[in-house]
Amino acid sequence: MKEAVRIQQEDFSQDKEVAALKGSSKRIGGIATFLGCARDFSEGREVSAISFDAYGSMALSELNRLRSDAIEKFGLLDARIVHRIGTVRGGDNIVFIAAGAEHRVAALEACRWMIDELKQRVPIWKKEITPQGESWVTPHP
Amino acid sequence: MIKVLFFGPIAAATGEREVSVAHVPGMTLGSLKETLTAQYPEAMHLATMMAVNGEHARDLALPLADNSEMAFMAKFSGG
Repeated sequence: MKEAVRIQQEDFSQDKEVAALKGSSKRIGGIATFLGCARDFSEGREVSAISFDAYGSMALSELNRLRSDAIEKFGLLDARIVHRIGTVRGGDNIVFIAAGAEHRVAALEACRWMIDELKQRVPIWKKEITPQGESWVTPHP
Repeated sequence: MIKVLFFGPIAAATGEREVSVAHVPGMTLGSLKETLTAQYPEAMHLATMMAVNGEHARDLALPLADNSEMAFMAKFSGG
């Protein structure tokens, strides 16, 4: 079983992540997931690839804290977070979050909360590579 | 020495991923930031977040111990 929180270059399998989450407890009655993927168009221009940089040790520590906080805040039975770094292309997976709870409301709210918090707390930066050049992304609210 | 790390847009602006700054008695997060701002004004303009030894830090009066690891970071854009 892979770690519940990971930062990795390689792609991930949503099915395997959900299976791992389900396998953690038979009390789980609802699982909510979020998949972030790379767009090939942004701010009116074609995007060839997206490159990620991270403060690796801090990012992993913050993701683990984020998972623990979500489990405590929403009473989750388990949660998983995987974020890719390196270079991805349009349509590729970037981030996967799954929250498992006894009931759907906690799972859905926790999933939304985790991706919002990830964007605020986790030191990862993305650079869009376009035919016109490269630019670091200014975060959306 | 203080190890200062740069990532993403700040690493691109400084042309460095890591620099060392001599530790001096009484050094604070704020005084180190001033030193680096003089050296890398454009890059440090982007630095809206800070971390000391891998933990978020916001208090510019925070004393820095020798051998600390500092990061001055642009707003995050993961996810």
